[in-house]
Amino acid sequence: MDFNWTREHDAFRARLRDVLKRHLPDDWAEQSRYDTSSEYTSKFSRKFCPILAQEGLLIPHWPKELGGEGLDGFHHWILGEEMVAAGEPRSYQYMSVNWVGPTMMRYGTKAQQEEFIPKIKSGNFIWCQGFSEPDAGSDLAALRTRAERRGDRYLINGSKIWTSGASFADHCLMLARTGGERREGITVFLVPMKHPGVEVRVIPNYIGERTVHEVFFTEVEVPAEWRFGDESNGWEIVTYILHQERVGIPRYAFSMRVLDHAVELLKKRGAFSDSAVRARAGHARAACEATRYLALDVINDRVKGRPPSAKTSIVRYSQVRSDRLVADFLADYLADELVSGQDRMIASGYKRTGSVGIASGAAEVQLDLIARNHLDLPRRR
Amino acid sequence: MDFDLSSDQSVLAEAIDNLVGRHHTLPSVIAAHYLPGDGLDSDLAQAGFFDIARSEGMSALEAVLLVERVARAPVAVEIGASALVVPLALPDHEISRPVALADARAGSPVRFLPGASSLLVDAGSEIRIADVSRLNIEPISSTFAYPFGTLTSAILDASEPLGDVSVELLRQWRRVALATEICGAGKSALDLTVQYVKDRRQFGRPIGEFQSVQHRLAECTMLLASARMMALRAALTGNSLDAAEAASLAQEAGTRIHHETHQFHGAMGITMEYPLHLWTYRLKALQGEMGGLVAQTGAVAALRWDDGEQP
Repeated sequence: MDFNWTREHDAFRARLRDVLKRHLPDDWAEQSRYDTSSEYTSKFSRKFCPILAQEGLLIPHWPKELGGEGLDGFHHWILGEEMVAAGEPRSYQYMSVNWVGPTMMRYGTKAQQEEFIPKIKSGNFIWCQGFSEPDAGSDLAALRTRAERRGDRYLINGSKIWTSGASFADHCLMLARTGGERREGITVFLVPMKHPGVEVRVIPNYIGERTVHEVFFTEVEVPAEWRFGDESNGWEIVTYILHQERVGIPRYAFSMRVLDHAVELLKKRGAFSDSAVRARAGHARAACEATRYLALDVINDRVKGRPPSAKTSIVRYSQVRSDRLVADFLADYLADELVSGQDRMIASGYKRTGSVGIASGAAEVQLDLIARNHLDLPRRR
Repeated sequence: MDFDLSSDQSVLAEAIDNLVGRHHTLPSVIAAHYLPGDGLDSDLAQAGFFDIARSEGMSALEAVLLVERVARAPVAVEIGASALVVPLALPDHEISRPVALADARAGSPVRFLPGASSLLVDAGSEIRIADVSRLNIEPISSTFAYPFGTLTSAILDASEPLGDVSVELLRQWRRVALATEICGAGKSALDLTVQYVKDRRQFGRPIGEFQSVQHRLAECTMLLASARMMALRAALTGNSLDAAEAASLAQEAGTRIHHETHQFHGAMGITMEYPLHLWTYRLKALQGEMGGLVAQTGAVAALRWDDGEQP
C-alpha cells in the first residue's frame, strides 16, 4: 500500500497545469463562468482539446495502437482532476475521453472505431448521451423510444430528456427499444445530431447554460451500421458505461478549490475566527478528501483490471455528500456572493452541486446498489 | 499509488485476524458493560504485536491494521496508545504499557486508567507522564464499554514533563489511533446489524428488505469507508492534516453507526444480554474524545488554512 504519486504522475500533473496556464485566457472565469455546458466553453473546447491532443494529453490512458499514450488509469484520473479544478475547459468532450472512447474500443465494430476514434482524437467532436426519457429516469429500463427494423435500416421514434450538451453535440449515443421488456430488447445507436428527424430543445435550468435538453426523434431513419453492439445487448453496454461514468468526473477537485477560495474570502472579512465556521469548513474539506481517496481506490481496481464493484456506488454517494457539505457551507456563510452571483467560482461551485445526486443515476439508486451488492441485503419483493 | 496491501502486509493481516478471532467468542451470559480483554492482551504481547510499528520493515500502516482488528473484538484491550501513539509520537521513549491517554482535565474519566502502567497527558504546551501503577486509581462504573478511571488533581500533580517531545505529534497519532479504533468497533457493530436485519422478520419479511433500512445502512457503509480510507492515508503519510481529517470522519461515522445500529435492533439492542453494546458504547465513548467532532474539524481548518493548531 502506497499513497504517494510516482515521479511520472507528478510530472504529468505539472505538464497539465502548465498547459492550462498557457492556454486558458485571462478572462476565463468571466467568459466560461466555470460552466461546462455553456456555449462559450463548448466552443473553447473545440480549440483547446486539439491542443491537448497535440501535447499527448487528450487521451493519455488509451492504448498506443489507438493513438493514446498507453499510460495507466491514474494518469486519466489526474487529467480529470486538473481539468475539473480548472472549470472543465474540455466541456463535454470529457465524456469522449471517459466513457465513449473506452466503450467504442470494447463494443464498436471496426468500421465504427475507424470512423469515431479519429474524431474523438481530433478534439473537435462532442458526444451527448441519449439515455433518460420522460418516463425512464432512475428506472432506465422502462425506456420507450422504439427502433423498428425495416430491412437494412431502423426507424427510430421517441424522445430523450435531461440530455447534456445536446444543442451543440455532434453525435448522440442513444438507447432505443428493439423489442422485449425492461432490460431485454434495448439496443444502442449512434446518431448524428443533424440527422433528419432529430430535434433539440434547451431546457432552462439552475445548473448551467446547456446542461439539460429534450431530444425528439421523429421517424428517424438510420442504417443498420449505426447500431452499436448487438441488437438487444444494450443493457450490458449501459452497465459498462455507467460504471465508467459514475466514477468519471472528479467533482471534488472543483469543490475543494471553491472551498479554499471561500475560506480566503471569509478570512479577508475577518469571519474565519468563528469556531462554527471553521468546523463546517473543516468537515467539508475532510469529506472531499475522503471522496478523492475512495475514488482513487476504484481507479486502482481499474488499473489492475478488476471488474467494477459496489465501491463505485460508495464513491458516488460520498461525492454527493461532500458536495452538499460544500454547498451548504457556501449558502450559510457566503450568501451575499451567492445571491449576487458576481463571484464566478462561488456561483459555479454552488450550482454544480445541484446535479450531483441526480446525474449518472439518483443517489438513492447508489444506496440501493450498496445495500444489494455490498451488504448483500435482500431484494425488495 | 497502490491501494493493495503488499503480500507481507496481507500475511500479517491474516495472522492478526487469526489471533484476534480466537477472542471473538462471546460468553453465554454478558453481564457487564464491557468484556475485559486480558486473554487477548497477553496473546498480543506474546506474539510481539504491541511493538509492531517498531519492527523492522513495518511502520504506522501495520500498526493501523493491528489496532483496527483488535478494536473489532468484543473485548476491550488497550491497543491504540501502545501500538500506535507511543511508537510513532514518542519513538525514543520506553513507556511501559498499558498506557492511558488523557487531556489535562482534573475530574475527567480516562479510558484504561484502571490497570494502566503509564499515563500520558496532553497538557497543552507539553506532554506529561505519570507512573500510575502505584497510584490509587478510582475506577468508574460506566456504561461506556471501557474500563474508566477518574483523572484526579493528585494524579496530575504526580505527573512530570516529558522533555523533548512534540505535543503536535502526540495529538496527530492520537487522532489516527482514535479514528482506527472507531473504524474497528464500527465495523463490528455494522456487521452484526446487517446480519440481524437479514434474519429478523416483521410484516412477513426480513426487515433488511425495507428501503429505509437499506439506505441508512448503506450510508453508514459509506461513512465508515471514508473514515477507514483516511485513517490508512494518515498512517501512510504521517501528515497531521490527514490525521485530523481521519478523526473527523471517524467521529462522525461512529455517531451515526451507533444510532442506526441501535435503531434497527429495536429493543433487543438496548439489552445487556445482546452484544451490540460492546461496540456501540465504545463508539459513544470515542465520539467525544479529544474534544469531539467540532474539535477535529476545527483542527482540520487550523492545519489546512492557518499555520497549524494553537496549543
